[in-house]
Amino acid sequence: MKNNKIEKSGTNRRNFLRLGFISTITVATGASLFSNLIIEEEPDSSGEKMRLLTPEGKIVEVDATYINKYPEAHITPAESRKGIPDRKFVMVIDLAKCKNARNCVETCQKEHQLDYNEEFLKIQLMQDNKEADPYWFPKPCYHCDSPPCVTVCPTGATFKREDNIVLVDAERCIGCKFCVTSCPYSARIFNWGHKEKFDNKDIPYSPETGIPATEGTIMKCDFCPDMLRQGKLPHCAQSCPMGVIYFGDKNEDIVTNGEETVRFSKLIKERSGYRHLEHLGTKPNVYYLPAVNRQFPLERGFNVDEDIIERYKNVEYVKDLKKQGKI
Amino acid sequence: MDIIKRKKELVKEFSPMLEKTSLISKLWIVVLIAIISVGIYAFYLQFINGHKITGMRDNVVWGIYIINFIFFVGISYSGAFITGVLHFFKGSWKYSIARIIKIITVLSLIVGPIFILLCIGRLDRLHYLFIYPRIQSPITWDIIAIMTDLIGCFIYLYLTFIPDFAILRDTADLKVPRWQKNVYKVLAIGYQDTASQRERLHKITEIMSVMIIAMAIVAYTVLAWIFSLTLQPGWNSTIFAPYFIIAGLYSGVGVIIISMYLIRKIYKLEKYIRKIHFIGAGIVLLIISLLFGYFTFSEYFAKWFSHKTNDEELLNTLFSRYFWEFILANYIGVLVPIVILFFKKLRTIKSITFAAVIAVLGLWLNRYLIVIPTLETPYIPIQDTRPEFIFYTATWIEYALSFAGIAAFILMFKLIMKFVPIIPMSGIIDQERCEENKTNNTTNQVQ
Amino acid sequence: MKRDLYKYPFITSFVIVLLLSNFSLAQENDVSNYRIGFNFNTVKQYDNSRLLELNFIATNKKDRKDKIPVNNAEIKFFNVLNDDKVLLGKVYTTNEGVAQLILPENQNYLIDDDGNILLIAFFEGTNSLEAETAEISVKDLHLELNLTEIDSVKTALVSAFTMNKLGEKIPVEDLEISFYVQAMLSKMKIEEGTISDGSYEFKFPTDIPGDVNGNLIVYSMVVEHDEYWNVTQKENANWGVFHKQTMKEKNTLWSAVAPLWMYTVLTIMLVGVWANYVYTIINLIKIKKEGDEIKLKI
Repeated sequence: MKNNKIEKSGTNRRNFLRLGFISTITVATGASLFSNLIIEEEPDSSGEKMRLLTPEGKIVEVDATYINKYPEAHITPAESRKGIPDRKFVMVIDLAKCKNARNCVETCQKEHQLDYNEEFLKIQLMQDNKEADPYWFPKPCYHCDSPPCVTVCPTGATFKREDNIVLVDAERCIGCKFCVTSCPYSARIFNWGHKEKFDNKDIPYSPETGIPATEGTIMKCDFCPDMLRQGKLPHCAQSCPMGVIYFGDKNEDIVTNGEETVRFSKLIKERSGYRHLEHLGTKPNVYYLPAVNRQFPLERGFNVDEDIIERYKNVEYVKDLKKQGKI
Repeated sequence: MDIIKRKKELVKEFSPMLEKTSLISKLWIVVLIAIISVGIYAFYLQFINGHKITGMRDNVVWGIYIINFIFFVGISYSGAFITGVLHFFKGSWKYSIARIIKIITVLSLIVGPIFILLCIGRLDRLHYLFIYPRIQSPITWDIIAIMTDLIGCFIYLYLTFIPDFAILRDTADLKVPRWQKNVYKVLAIGYQDTASQRERLHKITEIMSVMIIAMAIVAYTVLAWIFSLTLQPGWNSTIFAPYFIIAGLYSGVGVIIISMYLIRKIYKLEKYIRKIHFIGAGIVLLIISLLFGYFTFSEYFAKWFSHKTNDEELLNTLFSRYFWEFILANYIGVLVPIVILFFKKLRTIKSITFAAVIAVLGLWLNRYLIVIPTLETPYIPIQDTRPEFIFYTATWIEYALSFAGIAAFILMFKLIMKFVPIIPMSGIIDQERCEENKTNNTTNQVQ
Repeated sequence: MKRDLYKYPFITSFVIVLLLSNFSLAQENDVSNYRIGFNFNTVKQYDNSRLLELNFIATNKKDRKDKIPVNNAEIKFFNVLNDDKVLLGKVYTTNEGVAQLILPENQNYLIDDDGNILLIAFFEGTNSLEAETAEISVKDLHLELNLTEIDSVKTALVSAFTMNKLGEKIPVEDLEISFYVQAMLSKMKIEEGTISDGSYEFKFPTDIPGDVNGNLIVYSMVVEHDEYWNVTQKENANWGVFHKQTMKEKNTLWSAVAPLWMYTVLTIMLVGVWANYVYTIINLIKIKKEGDEIKLKI
């Protein structure tokens, strides 16, 4: 009897140990499988590390020697009120080529340390009238020549520079949000609460980079003056795979999208460039080339996440597509 | 008329209001303080967590705070306008309500700007408004206007307090704390009611009245320009400034009527605040409600008739999402007072006060419908999925602070009433002196 | 019991294998998934120096956008003629996987009979990376760019020639060349042509603004030619027609300084109102004085 009991308890213990061993292994497998799936979906997106292949054949990650070599000398808020001398920056967006790839939005968000839903450059789906097809409409800040936002700022926290760029000095902004209500193009966004990224004091603040942002202040597209000072295109223009965004200097009369470099006046004349809501008298510095002879069918642009397509649910065309069950 | 005797009589009549606080009054004060404490807590939460705990988001960046701001400041400016105008009327009836109106003017001009401060993202940088002002900005104009107006209304109120302080100072057996008596002495600045002093006081009061009228109009115009000088559909209207002035008067007269009713009832001042006051105020309310209805109709009718795309979108939201607010604000809020006040038979004190309540509520909703729907229908269509970024819903923080503001207004009113009699004693004496001179003159003429 | 013993080892070993393979798949660290690119290029620059550039970048076989540069790899550049091998330089690749070597104008190259310079870039290879070699055969092209006014017409002239062993200039035939103007962020092409008989000229456009002083930097470039690879030349000319923006907007609604009439109106209004306040206060003080006098009398 006793032996039986001892044997039984021994077996029980063994079983328990086996069970424990199996369950740990299963959990570990499950966890690694699960994390594997996550890792597979998420590309290396930290932006601060780069992967290199050493001659010994090992792939390592190092801190990206920040590719952005700005600033050589820190541009203080006071200095940022003077622009880059003798320049008048202008942007041309070719609506015939835009297929809502959203590289511009994502690169801008990465470089300005924005969250997923904070967008300096928004892609709208515009349908001018019922008969026309809608088109993808990238909308940065237009850096208007008669900016209504600058007019109404009570402290001069937003200002228009000599090089056409309208910047926001987040160290002077008191957060009255008058400029947000004043901008007819809804180009400005407000920091509604404190975020951890605001505490990163590694880089001294400059209105030209807008990093780090602060709670209770305004931010918006800034035409990337830090890139311009290095002779590079703004991030959105650089990252667009279709070359939709041209950027340049009106004084030089030359704009480029990274691959093509053309005369600005010629481009506008030949392609009938226009400005959005011209009649409001804001005199924007972003010109659009009409969405004719499109390079891509509109549907290509719907190849994005569900929640982004949800944004366009009020456009007539999207409503029709939904009715037909195509989306 | 023995002036000294008359003064003693009046002090006897009004001193209970200053000396005693009834139990109900004390309870009310406790309730009001409780509401204000909730408001302070809400403000603390907002200060710590940032504006993300309000309902405001990137498209509707202005919400209930600015609505309360323009509402209260409107009451204040209309009060200033009315007192200024009242000063030039002759008649005994004006004295009873003059102080009430002036106090309303000053208090709402204190409470109103507090709301706009709540809307500012960085309160720690408020001084930048004074170090780095930009005079092209309508907000700078507004700040200058409000500050100037606040000081003006304060001085104007104080000018009417001086003779009463003098009377109270000279009353030896007033049962008020010592410090209060000292305050009366200091603030009465040696006013002995001599003829030359009286004349001087009248002169500066008269000039101030003219100034107050002008300032009230200019200052509220500047506030209307904060909206109408932008490009937004629904705001960029040419008649916004006159519209705001009429609307301000509408709510102002409404609040005055409500205050008259409450003060008359609670402090049993039926002798001084009589039916004629209500009927007079009621007729003024009638005229203003007709004007207000006319202006509102002009605004919306022109938009509807010419149906520009953005105007049409705006009107669509008014008739769908804000349907009930629209009916309450612009139909009921205008028509009910007109109906009540138009017919002589319907004009009783209670019904006039009811009309005033409807007017005030309707006007607050009207302000809401001016600010929010425009921000919800911008030129570039809102293409977002987050509901709080598409539509505005106020949170409890904003409501708590709104009620706290109203409670603060009432509390301050009560405290002032414990400090100075609500019916100006010197006014009554002035009036009786005037009548006496008139009868003396007529008897002299007869003789 | 005995069956249990059989069952468990199978399952556990299966699971362990899964685990191990999972861990190896989790990081894309396996070099075998990448194709190693070893690209050699040369550019003769406008100061007649020669740039040798090597790009050593690994591309993911399945995802062409996944590129990993090889850094710190030792690249040796050689100039070879038959059996002679001259080491031109030893460079380590940067974090972008680029190794660059600039040879001065007076560099003596080993040139073969046809006039070609044979250049080799060589990577020795390690335990995990194979040795790599790339070869370029380039002919030295002399390119001259001149911007002159001929008969008061602004003309750009380019002449291209090679030098043979005797030092004679041999004009180049049938060479495609493009002309660019320097802009702030890029270069704009203004002309494309073919050099015949060693030269090419064209009328320079007269409507290019240039920089603020009207200066233009003009480039002539031979791009990716089989024999000459890349050659660029640069020249300055003050042929820009810069329209200086004379209209400077000051005193507008959006400038730092407001329109003058705003200051005037505001001052007048404020002075009027505050003068009234001061007047009121002065009168109040007078009332006080009178009251004090009366008190003294009493």
